[in-house]
Amino acid sequence: MDSFIKFSNFSKILPYAQLFRQGMLVTILLSLFTVAIGFCLALILALMRLSNFRPLRFLGIDKNGHERQGGFLELVSRFNPLNFIATAYVEILRSTPVLVQIFIIYYGVFGLIELPSFQVFGFIKFDRFFPGVVALGMNSGAYLCEIIRSGVQSIDGGQTEAARSLGLSQVQNLRYIILPQALKNILPAIANEFVVIIKESAITYTIGVQDIMSAVNAVKGATFVIIEPLLVATAIYFCLCFPTSKVIAYFERRMSRGDKR
Amino acid sequence: MATRDSLIQVTDLKKHYNMGAIKALDGVTTNIYQGDVVVVIGPSGSGKSTFLRSLNLLEEPTGGSIMFDGIDITKKKYKDASGKTVKLDIDQLRQKMGMVFQHFNLFPHMTILDNMVLAPVKVKGMSRAEAEKKALALLERVGLGDRASAYPIQLSGGQKQRVAIVRALAMEPQVMLFDEPTSALDPEMVGEVLDVMKELAREGMTMVCVTHEMGFAREVGNRVLFMDQGKLLEEGTPEDIFEHPKNPRLQDFLSKVL
Repeated sequence: MDSFIKFSNFSKILPYAQLFRQGMLVTILLSLFTVAIGFCLALILALMRLSNFRPLRFLGIDKNGHERQGGFLELVSRFNPLNFIATAYVEILRSTPVLVQIFIIYYGVFGLIELPSFQVFGFIKFDRFFPGVVALGMNSGAYLCEIIRSGVQSIDGGQTEAARSLGLSQVQNLRYIILPQALKNILPAIANEFVVIIKESAITYTIGVQDIMSAVNAVKGATFVIIEPLLVATAIYFCLCFPTSKVIAYFERRMSRGDKR
Repeated sequence: MATRDSLIQVTDLKKHYNMGAIKALDGVTTNIYQGDVVVVIGPSGSGKSTFLRSLNLLEEPTGGSIMFDGIDITKKKYKDASGKTVKLDIDQLRQKMGMVFQHFNLFPHMTILDNMVLAPVKVKGMSRAEAEKKALALLERVGLGDRASAYPIQLSGGQKQRVAIVRALAMEPQVMLFDEPTSALDPEMVGEVLDVMKELAREGMTMVCVTHEMGFAREVGNRVLFMDQGKLLEEGTPEDIFEHPKNPRLQDFLSKVL
């Protein structure tokens, strides 16, 4: 009986090692750009969700200058458009499949916007890679936003009061007091999200990004070998994800210096 | 009293919630003079903390005025000396008022020294070296010169509160606000914090202190305010308040705490 894995098959796919090497590089670049876009987007979205911007506030003030309690006008005066936009964005992105989002970005948005077709390093097709990064970044931005928001809200209000009473501005308070502490608390959740991004980037092969999964497909088509390329891909993904979570765990330990007696 | 400069003038200060159904502050009028040590006492829920926190606008009053440095700080805008309308810079204002909290509120992710130099460097634009020199001198004064590189969690409650006091002092405020500074401390640590506050009073720092330490109020305060249900019911020297209380509610309160 044939065994599940044949070692002879590994020698069959050996000539295609270069494809895997390129795929790995694409996956790494894809993940790094996704993380960068996702994190910046998440920070903006989180600030929007935490903001206290109420342009219709004046509607909630009655003739005597007091705030209205209850009623339609009070409800309207509480409307925060920034929060509304960010919340809607997050909920829509979290409640739809990432595959659908990638197709909409690739065929919809970048079907209208013509991207220059050139290749980076000679094998990364920019007009495939870029829509992939945008779609993944938009998606992870929604998840990271919720992580950052929960982290900021987990910090005791006394910290803000102390900072503001010392004369720090709202921005300085966020920058020096709240975010450093929040970041420490949410690092495990962020590590998880980063690892998810690396793995989820595999889905971009559906729009022709030549990442690890597309290397698997290419080898499969050329050699009719299927399990062994998949095992190689598995090993590569593991070697990318495992160190990532370890590196973040190291930073986590470093940042929690203030917790130990 | 007329010979002393009034530092903070509070007039008819109000803080209402739910359309006036809840009156945390209900028309408080008082003056805080340069060099005063004002102690605010009263039962819990009487509005004394709200009053203190209104002074640096951690609570926004819903009525009345607070004059500080010649500006009504309850208004978002004011007219400067040349008659120009200027927006109130709340951060600038708060630099001049140090605040000490019940739960210390040290920044746990920074060393004691970093806690102390943060505001002078980032807000006042002082050089790091100068701020550190000043911070170490202040820490030395409260007997914590050797703990500069420790993290807040490594300190006892009393030590944390002493750091919190000198952290506020590092900004060289004109007035110090204390919000029940000894209420979260173990009994044996109350003394060390009160000692620091007493020394501060002796040096002539203007202080407003909400406290349950009647001994401190009597010994260090030069004026005592008694508040109940959002109203300032009686004010006077410690002797007036503790030996000859007039208001029946003050008499009742004192009979319970003394």
